[in-house]
Amino acid sequence: MTPAEQLKDSVLALASQAHRDDGLKALRKRALNQLQLLPFPEKRHEAWKYTGLNALTAGQLENAAAPLRQPADVPALGDCVILIGNGFLPEQLPALPDGLNALPLSDNEAAEVTPDTLFGWLNSASLSGGLLLKTERNRKVAGIVHVVFCNQSDAPCHASNRLQVELAEGSELTLIEHYLGSGPVLANAMTRILAGANSKLTHYRLQSESADSLHIGNLQIDQQRDSRVDSSQLMRGNVLRRNDVHVRMLESGATLAMRGVFIARDKSHIDNHINVEHVAPHCHSDQVYKGIAGEKGRAVFNGRIHIHPYAKGSDASLSNNNMLLSNEAEIDSKPELEIYNDDVKCAHGTTVGQMDAAQFFYLRSRGIDAAKAKRMLGTGFVNETLLAMQDESVREWATDWLGEAL
Amino acid sequence: MLEVRDLHAAVDGKEILKGLTLTVKPGEVHAIMGPNGSGKSTLSNVLAGREGYEITSGEVLFEGKPVADMETEERARAGIFLAFQYPVEIPGVSNMEFLKASLEAVRAAQGKEPLDAVSLLRRAREACQQVNLDQQFLKRGVNEGFSGGEKKRNEIMQMMLLEPKLALLDETDSGLDIDALQVVAKGVNALRSPERAIVLVTHYQRLLDYIVPDHVHVLAGGKIIKSGGKELALELEQKGYGWLTGEEESA
Repeated sequence: MTPAEQLKDSVLALASQAHRDDGLKALRKRALNQLQLLPFPEKRHEAWKYTGLNALTAGQLENAAAPLRQPADVPALGDCVILIGNGFLPEQLPALPDGLNALPLSDNEAAEVTPDTLFGWLNSASLSGGLLLKTERNRKVAGIVHVVFCNQSDAPCHASNRLQVELAEGSELTLIEHYLGSGPVLANAMTRILAGANSKLTHYRLQSESADSLHIGNLQIDQQRDSRVDSSQLMRGNVLRRNDVHVRMLESGATLAMRGVFIARDKSHIDNHINVEHVAPHCHSDQVYKGIAGEKGRAVFNGRIHIHPYAKGSDASLSNNNMLLSNEAEIDSKPELEIYNDDVKCAHGTTVGQMDAAQFFYLRSRGIDAAKAKRMLGTGFVNETLLAMQDESVREWATDWLGEAL
Repeated sequence: MLEVRDLHAAVDGKEILKGLTLTVKPGEVHAIMGPNGSGKSTLSNVLAGREGYEITSGEVLFEGKPVADMETEERARAGIFLAFQYPVEIPGVSNMEFLKASLEAVRAAQGKEPLDAVSLLRRAREACQQVNLDQQFLKRGVNEGFSGGEKKRNEIMQMMLLEPKLALLDETDSGLDIDALQVVAKGVNALRSPERAIVLVTHYQRLLDYIVPDHVHVLAGGKIIKSGGKELALELEQKGYGWLTGEEESA
C-alpha cells in the first residue's frame, strides 16, 4: 500500500467512526459516499504539485479530536465571541447583536454543499457540529462578530471546523473568522458564505495558530445580485497550511475585494489556492495578495480568475507580490486566467523579489540592527494591505501579529 | 577621531582606493573634492560599511577602533553618520517610524534614555522646521516621492536628530538649487562643534561658499594628491582639476 492509499484508508475510517443519528446524518452519509470515490491528493495532481501531505503520516487522520478541556485565551477583537474548541460547538451560544441569529448547522442548510477538495468532504463526513449564522433581511448587524476556532491537542488528531454564514437580502455584517491553537492537530476548516442580494459582508480570516499545528481550509463564497464582499486573510505558515478559496459571482452587479498576507518563516509551509469565478455579467473583483518567505520557509500562491461566457462586462484584477528574506526561502506563484468572452477588463500580475539591499543598508546605516531592519522592510512591504482593512481593532491586532510573524 | 591609513579598497573586485591617507580631528571640517570617478563615493561607502565595498589593505580607525570589525549599524551607533548621495525610498515605512527606530538604537548604544513619544515628535518637528521640510513628511514613507532637494534635507534632518560624532556628507550639494543649498549649509553649520567632525565629499566648490572648511583635499585616482586650506578650493574653482591630475579636463 502506498502512503497515499494508507492515508485514504485513515480518512474513510475517520469518516465512518463519526456516524451518529442526529441532524447531520444525511450530510455525513453523502460526504462519506463522495470520499469513497475521491483519490487522496498527491504531488502528481496539479493542484497539489507544491504541497506534499507527508506531514499527515504522523497520525492526524487516525484520531478525531476530543472536546477542548480548558477555555482558550481569546484576544478581544469583536463585540461578541463564539468559541468553538476542537470543532465542538459550545453548549450554549452567546447572546448576539440584533439582526443576527446563530444555530447549529443541520442537514437542511447543508444540502447544497459541494466542497472543492477531499478535505472539504472529510470535514462534512466527520462533522460533530457546525455553526450557522444568519442575518435578518435589511438589517445591519451592529457590532463585530468574532468566531474563534481554537484547536489544541498534545497528540496528533483531526478537528472539523465548520461555519456557514447566510446574509439575507439587504443585510450587513462584519465577521472575524479566527483560528488559534497549538499542537499536532489538523484543523480541517470549511467555511461557506452565502451573500444574498444587495448584502454587504466585511470578513476577516485570521490564521494565527502556532507553528507546530496543521491547517487545511476551504472557504467558499457565493455572491448574489449586487452583493459586496470585502475579505481580508492573514496567515502564518506552520507544519502544513493549505487554503482553497473559491468565490462564485453568480448574479450580476456583485463586487469582491479580497486581500491577503501570508508569511512563511523557518521551515513552515503555506499554500493558497484562490479561484474567483465570474459567472454573471457586470461583476467586479479585485484581489491583492502579498507573501513573505524567510529562512527555509516555503509559500505557494495559485490565483485563478475564470470569466464565464455570459459574464460580459466583467472587471477582474489579481496581484500577488512576494518578498524573499533568505536565499533558501521559496515562493511559487502562478496566476491563471481563463476568459471565455471578449467584453472583459482583466489584469493580473505577480512578482517575486529579494529584500532590497539598498533599503536594508540605509536602515542599518542609521543604527537599526539587521533583524529589526528586515522586520521593518517586511512590514513596509505588506503595510498597504493591512491599512486597507476597515476595522481598527483588527488592524491593530494585525500590526502586532505581523511584528511577531516577522 | 578618524584615521585612514594607506587605505586600499575594492568594489566588486575592482580596486578604487589606492592608498588613501586622511586624519580628521574633533572640531574639524574637511572637504574632499575630486573629479568624477576619483573614488569619493567609494570612500563614504567604505566608511559606512556598505556591502560589496571591501578593504583590501590599510586600515580605518574611528576613535582608535578599526571600523572593519564593526557592522554597519555598530558604526552608526558609535557616532558615524553618512548623508547619502542618493537617499533610498522605502514605501510603507513611515519617516517617523524610521526616525524612532533609529534614535532608539543609537541612543540606547550611547547609554541615553529612549525619548518618549511626545518629545520625539517635538524634536522631529523642530528638526523639520530647521531644514524647511513640511511636517507632513514625517507621516509619509521614507523619502517616498520626495524631490531630490527634499531627500537631501531629510538626510540633514536625520543628522540633526542623531547628533553624530562624525558626519560624512556624500555629495549632499549635488543637484541642489541655491535656496536648498543654503538650508542644508545652515543645518550643517548649526552642528559644528568642538567635539564633532564633518567630512564634506563634493564635486563642486559652491558648497564651500556656505560651509567653510578647515582642510581641503583633492582626491584623484584613489589617492589624496593634494591637501591645503580653504584657499585650495578657490584655486580648484579657477583652474579645474587638470593641473593636479595632469589630464585635460573635458568641459
